[in-house]
Amino acid sequence: MLEVAGRSKATLLSLVIAALITIPLANSLYRVPIQVSDSLEPIVVAAKADSTISLLKESIRFSPTTLRPSRYLQARWLIELAEKTRVTYTAVFRGVHVALLFVLVALFFLATRVRDWTDLTAFSVAFLVLLGIHTFAAMLFEAFPVNHYAEVGACALAVFVLAQRAPRWYVPIVACALLVIALSVIESGAIVWLTVVCCAAAGMPGIKRSTVISTTMLFGGYLLIRDQLGIVSPGVGGHGSGYGAAFYSAEELAQRFGAHPVGFMIYNVVGGLASLLFSEPRNGVYSLLVSWRAGAIHPVVTVNVLSSLATTIVLVWYATRYAHIRRADWSDADRAFLAAAVVFLANAALTAVYIKDEIISVGGLFYAVCTFIAVRALIASLPEKRAPLASALCLFLAADAALWAFRVAGVHYQLRYDAFKTRNDWVEVLREDKRDDWPHDTRELAVTQRLRTEAIERKTTSPSFLPRKGDAYWVE
Amino acid sequence: MRIAIAAPCIVLTVTSAWWTVGLATGGGLWPSDDVTLPEAVATRNNAEALRLIHHGADPNRAGRVRDGFLTNGYAIDVLPVEAAVAAQRADTLRMLLANGAIVDARELRVLRCLEQSRHDSGVREMLDARAAGEPDCTGISLPTDRTGSR
Repeated sequence: MLEVAGRSKATLLSLVIAALITIPLANSLYRVPIQVSDSLEPIVVAAKADSTISLLKESIRFSPTTLRPSRYLQARWLIELAEKTRVTYTAVFRGVHVALLFVLVALFFLATRVRDWTDLTAFSVAFLVLLGIHTFAAMLFEAFPVNHYAEVGACALAVFVLAQRAPRWYVPIVACALLVIALSVIESGAIVWLTVVCCAAAGMPGIKRSTVISTTMLFGGYLLIRDQLGIVSPGVGGHGSGYGAAFYSAEELAQRFGAHPVGFMIYNVVGGLASLLFSEPRNGVYSLLVSWRAGAIHPVVTVNVLSSLATTIVLVWYATRYAHIRRADWSDADRAFLAAAVVFLANAALTAVYIKDEIISVGGLFYAVCTFIAVRALIASLPEKRAPLASALCLFLAADAALWAFRVAGVHYQLRYDAFKTRNDWVEVLREDKRDDWPHDTRELAVTQRLRTEAIERKTTSPSFLPRKGDAYWVE
Repeated sequence: MRIAIAAPCIVLTVTSAWWTVGLATGGGLWPSDDVTLPEAVATRNNAEALRLIHHGADPNRAGRVRDGFLTNGYAIDVLPVEAAVAAQRADTLRMLLANGAIVDARELRVLRCLEQSRHDSGVREMLDARAAGEPDCTGISLPTDRTGSR
């Protein structure tokens, strides 16, 4: 009875912590207007299409390197929803961004399965890692009308949650549906299939052979469709990316690495992994290198690197267990840790052509899951250690958690900044002194005007009213 | 020991709860700022400046700019276009001109003299397009000076 009571209290408390921290974060996220970059064009395209079917057909031919039909379909559905319910575009589109934030938090809550006070303590660290890691912030800043990276993250995390539970007949169906959703919004949705494979390979109970086979066939079919449509993967030079201490444009990268891309691709994959483990580099650029050249390290780099380094040390400590325990003796936590770790390692491989924090955002979610498992094990081991060592480890975890809490507070700051910048971007759209450049299509003009008016009418906080040192400690 | 490890999260949770309560009462963490039109311009907030104009603010009327934005140690009253030049914002100046701000010959001289103390090539290009030669700044008191404030 006592155990059950303790379990329910710890579970409830973790839910309360998650909710209380997420609510103001959701508010900060909702304050960001619909973006001009990456949002205006697809919303206008979606609004102008004659029908959903014609939009679907057209969207397949939009780009020779991408197949993202749901990007436009979802935008159209949301426009229709806004017009039917007579609410603002902002409420609908930004509402979906916020809803996805809550879905991700809910799935993380389910993935951690807090049952006792040790779990709760580990959750109090891991939850900060989830929200504070730069890849999560990058996911929140996503400028697409619907946050595709968050959708992919939610799909991958949902597969992981299913994998933790007892096998059910519907798991292959749900896993296939999640894979279809993820692949239809963005190519990095392939991480959902990788998650299925990793969970099965690690021996997690919920994923059986049928799920692996069905999702693999589906993924194979997706690749076949891409091939039939003549859609090719973008090579080096398709996007700008960082290298060393500088960021290079797509043209510069093509010129520099186009002929011999392998070295650059290895650099990117290693960089993607290092970014997850150490918060460096960011978008391929090593801020530490920039700081070293400038002779001064920016405080934000110090905070980010130290917090990630400390957490990664705990993860490496946990991973050494596998050297001492036979596979047959692995616990559920061991299997979950292995699956999650391989997912974020595999996610790094998706950065081969160019690095963006958003591409490794799913890896960031699984990094936080690994943190929960490793920190839980470390806390559980403290009573067996000598008092000075246990105290030192306790201080180490508390200091690390404090750095992560500081990073979470920084997400609010960055979102305020993003809201300010995004709102001001709309001033450059439909300029009074450039009426000749306004769209001639009445539907396009009406949608653009409505989006612009809604964005400008939403008051934001100017950075002039934010803490003066915020840039130094929170913006990289 | 567990409490020590969880302490940062507890602090953030309590702070977040406080921010949520603040939201309900119109405050919260870093709420949006209430500014005058020149203040919006001075804080590089073009969207807010445009919103204020759409809501009836006169782009040809001086308003208060608090200490610390364009000046140190004192507040000033300036025209929005003067705030734009003082803040070295050509884009804001252009936006104001496109939305009803009028710059007559006398004001143009003031703005060009102000630009000479707060250099910005974009602003200078816009102002020079409206007048030839170097401005004569003798006898001009700048609106950002304590004595020149309106």
